[in-house]
Amino acid sequence: MASRIVRNVLVVLVSVVWLVPTWLVVVNAFTPSAQYTGSPRWWFASADIATNIRTAFSTAGVGQGMLNTLIYAALGAAIAVLISALAGFAVTVMPVKRPAIWFWGIYIGTVLPLQTFLSPLFTGYAKTGLYDTQYGMLLIYVAMTIPFAFFVNRNFLMTVPRELAEAAQLDGANWLRMFVRVHLPLARSALLATFVFQFTWIWNDLLFGITLSLSPNVRPVMATLADLSGSYGTAGPPVILAGALVASIPTVLLFFVFQRFFVNSLRLTS
Amino acid sequence: MALVTTTEKLPVATRSGADQPRRGFRWRRALWVGGFLLPAVALIVVLLVVPFLVTAYRSLFDDNGVSSRFIGLANYVALFTDPDFGRSLLNTVFWVIGTLVLPVLLGLLIAVLTNSVRWGSVARTVVVIPYALSGSATALLWTFLLQSDGAINQTLASIGLGGLQQEWLLHWPLNTVVMILATTWQATGASMILFLVGLQTIPPETLEAAKLDGATGFRLFWSIIVPQLRPMTIVVVGMSIVNSLKTFDIVWLLTRGGPGTASETLALTMYRETFTLSRYGYGAAVSVVLTIVVLAASWLYLRRQATQR
Repeated sequence: MASRIVRNVLVVLVSVVWLVPTWLVVVNAFTPSAQYTGSPRWWFASADIATNIRTAFSTAGVGQGMLNTLIYAALGAAIAVLISALAGFAVTVMPVKRPAIWFWGIYIGTVLPLQTFLSPLFTGYAKTGLYDTQYGMLLIYVAMTIPFAFFVNRNFLMTVPRELAEAAQLDGANWLRMFVRVHLPLARSALLATFVFQFTWIWNDLLFGITLSLSPNVRPVMATLADLSGSYGTAGPPVILAGALVASIPTVLLFFVFQRFFVNSLRLTS
Repeated sequence: MALVTTTEKLPVATRSGADQPRRGFRWRRALWVGGFLLPAVALIVVLLVVPFLVTAYRSLFDDNGVSSRFIGLANYVALFTDPDFGRSLLNTVFWVIGTLVLPVLLGLLIAVLTNSVRWGSVARTVVVIPYALSGSATALLWTFLLQSDGAINQTLASIGLGGLQQEWLLHWPLNTVVMILATTWQATGASMILFLVGLQTIPPETLEAAKLDGATGFRLFWSIIVPQLRPMTIVVVGMSIVNSLKTFDIVWLLTRGGPGTASETLALTMYRETFTLSRYGYGAAVSVVLTIVVLAASWLYLRRQATQR
């Protein structure tokens, strides 16, 4: 009983600590630009966030940006998760010689610092005509998100009992069938988690957005939001916060919807 | 089986020689493995590794963007005698330790704790929201909180603790510590979710058996849950090492590495040398050193796990 109370108190404490900064973001997005003094507010200055949102959408192409990003994030994360699940399956289940080499060959993608290959990538994109195209953006996002998804899926697949693969083999299943019928369903929660993570990563990417795109119909939403606060942006912080809040709705929703897949029925105590 | 027959067409002469079927088998297996691995490896080599090698080559030149001259390893020699580089390296080590201790440990504790209270899903959502927020909102938020007339100092003054007010971002090492806390607020949700995924792989029977044996509370957590979570712990710790070594965004947005270069991490040093000072060769050298550090750290941590099954 006592430990129950302690646990509840701890969870309340954690929630409050985490909620306070989030609260500040939301409240200050409601401040009308004219009333903004430079220091943050703790309570709503007005009930009108719509004006700030409208300003954000009309000054920068936040709406079009969100549409572009939705394509990159949904499609890019899905492709990356599939490709990485295939590779993860190969190094854990298939009889690959020296799986460690393949592991590092893919894992190295997380190791390289982003800023390192921005400039060669820009040059390469300009030469191949991929610069400022939706295909180009999609391609780099898929490549960027494979390594982490691979790492998660591989480590999850390692927990799948080997006997399952052997049984499927005895049943005459080929690798692809085994992958689709046995391992993919088992790894469902890991696949979903990596999808949500990589969707969020692509959604929130700024660096590649500002480096590799220019036109409104290619530029992702974080790059357009950056224009709001950039040198020729005249909008104040409340407008930026309002725009950022709207731009964060999809990822927050995604986490919320997928949450029940992460925790099904597992009860550790009582 | 249909798929096997379609891939069998490659070794045409398989059934003639005595050892041929064996070779055909090997061929087919290589094709299968290749088909599963190739998309991932090809994309990473072409889009990430090749551009990095271009940068590595550039580090051998004295390059200001207009003219460039081959100077061998001189950039690296200059780097290791630069006192700013030492500071930058030290900050990066702070980041690694800080984010290993805070987001990883908190993520684990919150994942387990919220599993055991009824309204845990509400708490989990609260912890995950910051991870889903965009970088521009986060940066503004922490400026709100930390600037000298910001929310934290206001609050301290209003509850009579004005003496505790600080210029949070203006002094080293306080600014690095504060920024690590800001990162903790944002990143804990991610490690929490990975641990939640890991918790699902623990068979309920294992927990039941442990409970029957009288293991509860901390004992259950430490001797049953933590060992069972090992594959996911490897992911979370591995990613934490890599990401903290590459720390860039939050420092760039809050202090630009300042005051001066006091709060710079290796990634910021590289960025400043390359894009602010246009010393492309020198910046490339920093990025090569950074990559080697990240690779070495990951290898030390993962070398056993990468081959284990």
